[in-house]
Formats: sequence, C-alpha cells, structure tokens
Amino acid sequence: MPGLARSEWYDLTRDMNWTLSYVDPEQAWPQDLSNTYGIPAESWWGWDEPYKVTYSEYVHNQVGKDAGVYSVNSVIGRSRMFDELDPGWKSAIIAHYGAIAIPEYLAGIGESRMGRFGRAAAWRNMATFGCLDETRHGQIQTYFPYTLLNKEPRMDWAHKAAHTNEWGAIAGRHLFDDMFTANDAVSTAIQLTFTFETGFTNLQFLGMAADAMNVGDLDFGALISSIQTDEARHSQQGEPTIKVLIANGKKDVAQKLVDHMFWRSWHVFALLTGLSMDYYTPLEHRTHSFKEFMNEWIIKQFIDQFRDFGLERPWYWDEQFLGELEWYHHALHLGIWTWRPTVWWNPDAGMSPEERDWLEEKYPGWNDSFGKYWDVITANVRAGQPELTLPETFPIVCNMCQIPVVSPAGYAAGFLKTPAPLLLDLDGRRYTFCSEPCKWIFEQNPGRFKGHLGIIDRFLGGLIQPPDLGGALAYMGLSPEECGQDATNYAWAQQDRPGKNGKA
Amino acid sequence: MALFPVQGIFDGDFVVLLVPVDTDDPMTVVAEKIAHHVVGRRVAAQDRPMRVRRRGEFLADDATVAESNLSPLDVLEVMYQ
Repeated sequence: MPGLARSEWYDLTRDMNWTLSYVDPEQAWPQDLSNTYGIPAESWWGWDEPYKVTYSEYVHNQVGKDAGVYSVNSVIGRSRMFDELDPGWKSAIIAHYGAIAIPEYLAGIGESRMGRFGRAAAWRNMATFGCLDETRHGQIQTYFPYTLLNKEPRMDWAHKAAHTNEWGAIAGRHLFDDMFTANDAVSTAIQLTFTFETGFTNLQFLGMAADAMNVGDLDFGALISSIQTDEARHSQQGEPTIKVLIANGKKDVAQKLVDHMFWRSWHVFALLTGLSMDYYTPLEHRTHSFKEFMNEWIIKQFIDQFRDFGLERPWYWDEQFLGELEWYHHALHLGIWTWRPTVWWNPDAGMSPEERDWLEEKYPGWNDSFGKYWDVITANVRAGQPELTLPETFPIVCNMCQIPVVSPAGYAAGFLKTPAPLLLDLDGRRYTFCSEPCKWIFEQNPGRFKGHLGIIDRFLGGLIQPPDLGGALAYMGLSPEECGQDATNYAWAQQDRPGKNGKA
Repeated sequence: MALFPVQGIFDGDFVVLLVPVDTDDPMTVVAEKIAHHVVGRRVAAQDRPMRVRRRGEFLADDATVAESNLSPLDVLEVMYQ
C-alpha cells in the first residue's frame, strides 16, 4: 500500500469478520477449542489490540533482531566468555534452557490455536505473529545452547528435557498443557498471554537480560532481550480479550481464569526465578532480591491491572500468596539442592557466610527459619560426610503443581497453620496438594486433572523399576554424568569467616 | 507383613517425604524410619524418644501400622517428646 499511511488501511485489512452462513458457528469454532463463554460472535469483533504491526513490518523487525543476536552469538562463541562465567550463573542458564526452550515451541501451538480459533479477525492476525514469535524463540533457545555443547554437554537438555520424565519436565508439561497446549483459545489469551506472559515472563525477561549483562554473559543477555521484545507485543492479546469478557458481563469468568493461572505461574516462577535470583546469581551482581523483584515489578503491575480492569485480587492473595513470598522459594532451593541428582544442572548452594548475611538482610529471620538446616548440612560436609546431604527417598509431589510439597517449611517459619499437605480422596485414588489454591484449581475441574500421574504416583504404581533412587534417575533420563552436583564442590562449606550473625 | 507407603513429616523439617514402612512396624519403628531421612541431615538429633501423630492424635508407641487403621499415603508427623 505505497502512498498510504498504515493508519489509513490497517483496520480495514486486518478486520475480516463476517457472519457465517454455510456452516454452523459451532462447527467453525468448537467450544473445546474456543470457549466463547456465551458471548455472541459479533460482540467479539470489537477486539482491538493495543500494539499494531503489519506483516511487512513484522518480517523487517524480526530479520533485524535475528541478524543482531546471531551475530553476537557467533562472535562470543569464539571467546572464553562462557568458561569464565560463575558456576552458579551457568547453572541458572542450563536450568533455563531445559525448562523453556521446547515449551516455546509448544507455546506456538497455543498461538496457532488462537490464530485459527480466536473470536475476532484482528486477534487471529496478532496470534499468527505470536506463533511465528514462539517458533523463533524455540529455534534460538535450542541453537544457542547447541553452540555451547563443546563446553557444557548438559546444554543438550535444552532439547532433551521436555522429552524426558524428569520430574521438573513433568511439572512443566503439566503446567503448559493446562495453560496453552490443551487450552481453548479464549482461555489461552487470559491464562498464557495476560497472566503468564504479561504478568511474569515479560518482566522476568527484562530482569534476566539486565542480570546477564551484569555478570558478563553478553550472549544470554542479547538472547533474552531479543525474545522479550516479541513477548511485549504478543502478550497483549490478553488485555482486549479480558475487556470483551468484562464488557459482556463475564467478569467472573476472567477472574477465575486469572486466579487459576496466577497461582500456577507463581509456583513455577518461584522455582526457576526465585532460585536463580537469590542463590545462583553471584552475590556481587544481585541487584534485587527475588522478593523485592516480585514486589516492585510483578505485584505492582498486577495490582494496577486488576484495578484498571475492575478485577479483584485472587482470593488467596493475602494469606497464601503474600505469605509464600517470604518462604516458599527458600524451601524449594533447599529441596532442589538436596535432590540435586534429579536435576540436569548443578545447584549452587549459595551458602557462603557473605551470602547468608545477604539472605538475612533481605529476608529478616532467614537464619532462624532456613539457616538452621544449612548449619546441619554444613557440619556434615565439614565432617567429611557429604553422603548425609544426599537423599535416600523422595519428596511427596503436589498433584497440581507437580512440585515437591514443602508446606512443613512454611509451618516451621510461622506462615502456615499446619505442616500437613491437603488430601483429596476421589474415585479410589488419593491426591495430595501442597496448598489450598492448588487443591482449589483441581476441584474446579477434576475431570481435567484427575487422570494425570505425578512422579510419585508412577513410582508407587510400579512404573519406575527398580523402585529406588537409581531406577528413578534412569526413568528420568539422567545418566550419572548428567545428574546435578553441588556447583562449587562444597567450597561454601569450608569458609571459616563467620557471617554477621555468627553462623559459619 | 507388607510394604506400606506413608507421607512422613519430621517436626521442624521442611518437606513431606515418601517413606515406605511395614504393616508390622510399631510406631516406634515408623518414627525411626521417618527420622532416618531428617535427623542428623537437616535437623539436629536430640536424646529424647519420638512420637507419631496422625490428624492431631498421637498413636500408641506399640501399635503397628496394621493395627492403627492407616490408609496408604496417610500423613504421619514425627516429633520428639
């Protein structure tokens, strides 16, 4: 359209909505693939994305992004930059690639579903770009670790993890299937793009890119920055979808979808980002604690959005969510480090005296609630008994988030009324939940979740043979060379200078 | 005599554990089996006997798993007296 400004033709060409006459709308947009929640077809046609882009602009922009970031990778690949990175940071990016790279491809399925079954032409247009975005993110986040294979063989978990039965991979599949791979288009817009991407990953990627640059990982920093620019655009599909729901009296639907996925996103976010920010990032490069990041970025933005849309904070906000902010990821870190053979990266204990001082400063009371465990662990390492720091059994895993149940830590730290998990007996099977919101999500739609077997269900069901830790590691696809070890070979335990609080 | 899975929590620990016990185990042995994964590893040992609690009620030390009307994956809390 030479000679015309984009604003003069964009709305006309992107908005090809019409009333179907040859087929029933239910055939074109089956409820299972595009739950309209009773809103008439024409009411969706006002769907309007806040960020406009044309195909030619999109392609031009993406080529430029790829040219830039692949050039950085090519140049840095010939340097010793990766070899000189801190062991904890290396762990953070190995964990990231395994957890994220292939799910990016899977997110392309969710975007494709919205690209076909979105309820407005403008939305389908945006989602098509989103599908191209996610394909690019899958490609780039498998290619970059591929170029590092000669330096770190476990970089192949960028491609491998999602194809294994490693417990974290099971947790990721359960979450992402719920969020987008097995979700309808309308719910995907609310749960993937509004809740997970706008709420969490878009901001997380901004923070991670800055952290990567701080620690000198220009390769990862350039990669994450490049991805984030796409996220910022395609994540905006959620906002107009929420507006249509609310304008048509379906605020309760939007609220429930957000409540459901905010909790699930929070748990996986605490697992990945919480550990990375507060334990794996070198102390001298930590700009925020995880809790500060949550408060200043994630929570502030969500509260603003809740207010702007007329939504309420999720029902569990004050008691469960804000409470877990104080203790949950500390417990997960202790669990991941203890069960380190079951992950594909080397967990960094992050327990030098200086790091413990930092934790106590950022989380007053940390020494009394979590430092006490590390005191016993440190004594065992110093006594030449590191085998006492390794597990001989498994943690119970939540039947919703698929993450180990650490409620006893919340109780011991004074944030929960009981250490016990929540149980549900249904159709002859016992389900265990780590928290009230996880149980609530399950009970909203038991038929969706009840058939899934968590890693502990598989162990008890005889699917893991031999039924011991070795059998479980083999089942999870972890060879002895791939199993996680302490990232610094216990160097933190040998430091004699006591911290400010007298703890070594 | 058969393996019997329970969810074990040792007082002061941070995580719920899958612990296989035996239907013939008395609660003193159940306590030891759960404590084995925690005491001296993350929680300091104390020279005191331990007790087992289910749903807020203490189980008799000499009662076996079979006699205690437990269901698989019941939650058992172990603590020092």
